[in-house]
Amino acid sequence: MSRKIVITGVATAALLSLAACGGADDSDSTGGTVTLRYAMWDEVQKPPIEQSIREFEKAHPTIKVQIELNNWNDYWSKLQTQLAGRSAPDVFWDHVSYFPKFSKEGVLTDLAPLIAQDKVDTSIYDPKLAEGWKVDGKVYGLPKDWDTIGLFYSTKALKEAGLTPADLDGLTWNPADGGTFVKTLQKLTVDENGKHADEAGFDPKKVKQYGLAMQAPTGQQDWWNFALQNGCTLQDKPWGRWTIDQPACVQAVQFVQDLRLKYHVAVPATVTNPPNGPSLDQVVGRGEAAAAMDGSWMLRAFDTALPGGAFGVADLPAGPVGKGSVYNGLTEAVYAGTKHPKEAWELLKWLTSERHQKAVAQAGAVWPGIPSLNDVFADAWKAKGVDVTGFKKAAEGTTMGYPLTEAADVYNVKALDIFNQVWLGQLSPQDAAQKITTEANAAIK
Amino acid sequence: MIDNISYDRSLQGHRRVEHRLAARVRVVAEAYALLAPSLVGFLLFLVAPIFGVAALSLFDWNLMGAPSFVGLDNYRELAADPEVWRAVLNTIYYVVLNIPAQTVLALLLAVALNRRMRGGKVLRVVFVLPWMAMPVALGIIWSWVFDPRYGVVNQLLGTVGIDGPNWLTDPAWAMPVIASVNVWQYTGYTMLILLAGLQAIPHTLYEAAAIDGTTPVQRFFMITLPLLRPSLFFVLVTNMIGSFQIFDTVFVMTQGGPGGATDVLNFHIYQQGFQLFRSGYASALAMVLFALILLVTAVQFLYFRKRTVYDFS
Repeated sequence: MSRKIVITGVATAALLSLAACGGADDSDSTGGTVTLRYAMWDEVQKPPIEQSIREFEKAHPTIKVQIELNNWNDYWSKLQTQLAGRSAPDVFWDHVSYFPKFSKEGVLTDLAPLIAQDKVDTSIYDPKLAEGWKVDGKVYGLPKDWDTIGLFYSTKALKEAGLTPADLDGLTWNPADGGTFVKTLQKLTVDENGKHADEAGFDPKKVKQYGLAMQAPTGQQDWWNFALQNGCTLQDKPWGRWTIDQPACVQAVQFVQDLRLKYHVAVPATVTNPPNGPSLDQVVGRGEAAAAMDGSWMLRAFDTALPGGAFGVADLPAGPVGKGSVYNGLTEAVYAGTKHPKEAWELLKWLTSERHQKAVAQAGAVWPGIPSLNDVFADAWKAKGVDVTGFKKAAEGTTMGYPLTEAADVYNVKALDIFNQVWLGQLSPQDAAQKITTEANAAIK
Repeated sequence: MIDNISYDRSLQGHRRVEHRLAARVRVVAEAYALLAPSLVGFLLFLVAPIFGVAALSLFDWNLMGAPSFVGLDNYRELAADPEVWRAVLNTIYYVVLNIPAQTVLALLLAVALNRRMRGGKVLRVVFVLPWMAMPVALGIIWSWVFDPRYGVVNQLLGTVGIDGPNWLTDPAWAMPVIASVNVWQYTGYTMLILLAGLQAIPHTLYEAAAIDGTTPVQRFFMITLPLLRPSLFFVLVTNMIGSFQIFDTVFVMTQGGPGGATDVLNFHIYQQGFQLFRSGYASALAMVLFALILLVTAVQFLYFRKRTVYDFS
């Protein structure tokens, strides 16, 4: 008798709790108003985007947009968990490194029929950006922006070292002695006694200001650029196998380690290692480094840390095979499982419209996905006294896109761990290159 | 007549048995009724998932497609994975940093606060406060405190001329910082349990010992410590289990970094399960953690079982 009661009780409770697990997300449409969730990872870009979205909401009184912001690391684990749980945001930023997986898993809405139906002119986008997101005639996203890597410097630090911005032009590096790039960075590195790294008596243990700061969870802002300039290709072909264990790549990793541990011109990894290290705009802003390698999306952050034209942007140095920068672009994508496909498409059209991207460019947030607006972005920065055209020149020169691979998750998680150890001096570049190549290739099926 | 009596007796006996049985059934039913709410939760949210994880550890599943059965492959892979061994060692390192410090500190605090003193009750509450706060929020606040440039710790060190390290990005310091944050958070709780244990020790024992001419130190080691053993056993077992499962502070403060220096088992499980979406492999790792905790707890039970439990009630 008692046992029966208990069993019935258990079963009822189980059913009740299971029922409670279902239907949790029906609360987003009330009184004819639809709330769309829009996910992004960059805090720096959020304010101008938010402002433009207010206008979108004014034009579409029945749609409310809720921005969900998570930093790069959390963004991907959260988004993928939400995708697995069928509760992803309606519209979200998509990145090349996750695109292959997403397009395969069918979690992205094919925009092609919608583009045809609304006669959207996609010729306004840079074909270099738009093409990468098409698979078998399906369109899985429209261009949001593009970015390259540059050398952000503090004008004050430059002046103190007796250098002019022109001295940063035409620098070269090589794996043997570091070239003029390292020589210049030595002039920018000062210890507590005021001695520079190229002077006798320089104390590398008591550095007040380093020449360079680097920080890159994947390699995009640091060693990938040197790899490209050294003739290294990260993969044997797009979608192919990783080839980071090739000598040209190992040399590039070695060079980044050397900048820290051999030449003592770069901020130690104990300060800058991601994800806990401060962002580089802060490192340069508080005078711990004279310059930093960072992406064009960081301009607004540097402008906050070094306001009033206190920073400038120079080109990256050239390596043994020439100049080069990582070039990348994001798209706006619509979740295939959205409950509000019509409204989500409206939002996406707004986000990829000339009007929205112009507003974001005017705020100096990111280079727009629409090339005709590039000048708007450049002019916005010119008005602040910063010449950003170097990023554009870099984009037009030799570039390397983000590796196209199914193993992005594994690469990203392992690279963070492995390269942090290299920068700390705990792992040799050769061993690290071997390790990341083996582990990332093992994840390719 | 005799027959009658014996019949009567046996009937009575039978009735008595029946009566006793009914009473027992009632007691058991009552117990189950009282247990039901927590039992349901226990079965549904603890026992069922454990079996679920055990089963999942035999599969390869990325949460999206269909799971495929791989037998013991996950276990073979983790046995050969140096990162798993690093995570096990990191976890043990954390436990070693955490448990002794926390237990000794809590014991000292409990003994200190066990005597009647001004503000004693307020102090007890103060020490327990960190335990009531949210670990994630605390992690964020402690990250600020340990910030190398703007944090309170390095600014205080700076006033005495010490150039403080980069606490959370230096592999040598990250784990000690994580451990100290947790010591700070859980010492109050441990103290509370030990305090209750101390108060159960009869005063007469101390009085008798004092008459015998013992020193306070002797009394601590001959009376307090042995009689506190049941409480110590409880806090050691539960804190040890909790320490092996350290996750939140690591997640908030270091994300397993720098360079894997704080990559403890539970964080590694999270990374495999929710960043790499290898839920089968993550489940196998969870079983390893389970086995590790089971082993450590079993050893503790064996050690403490030999000791007498004193009952003064």
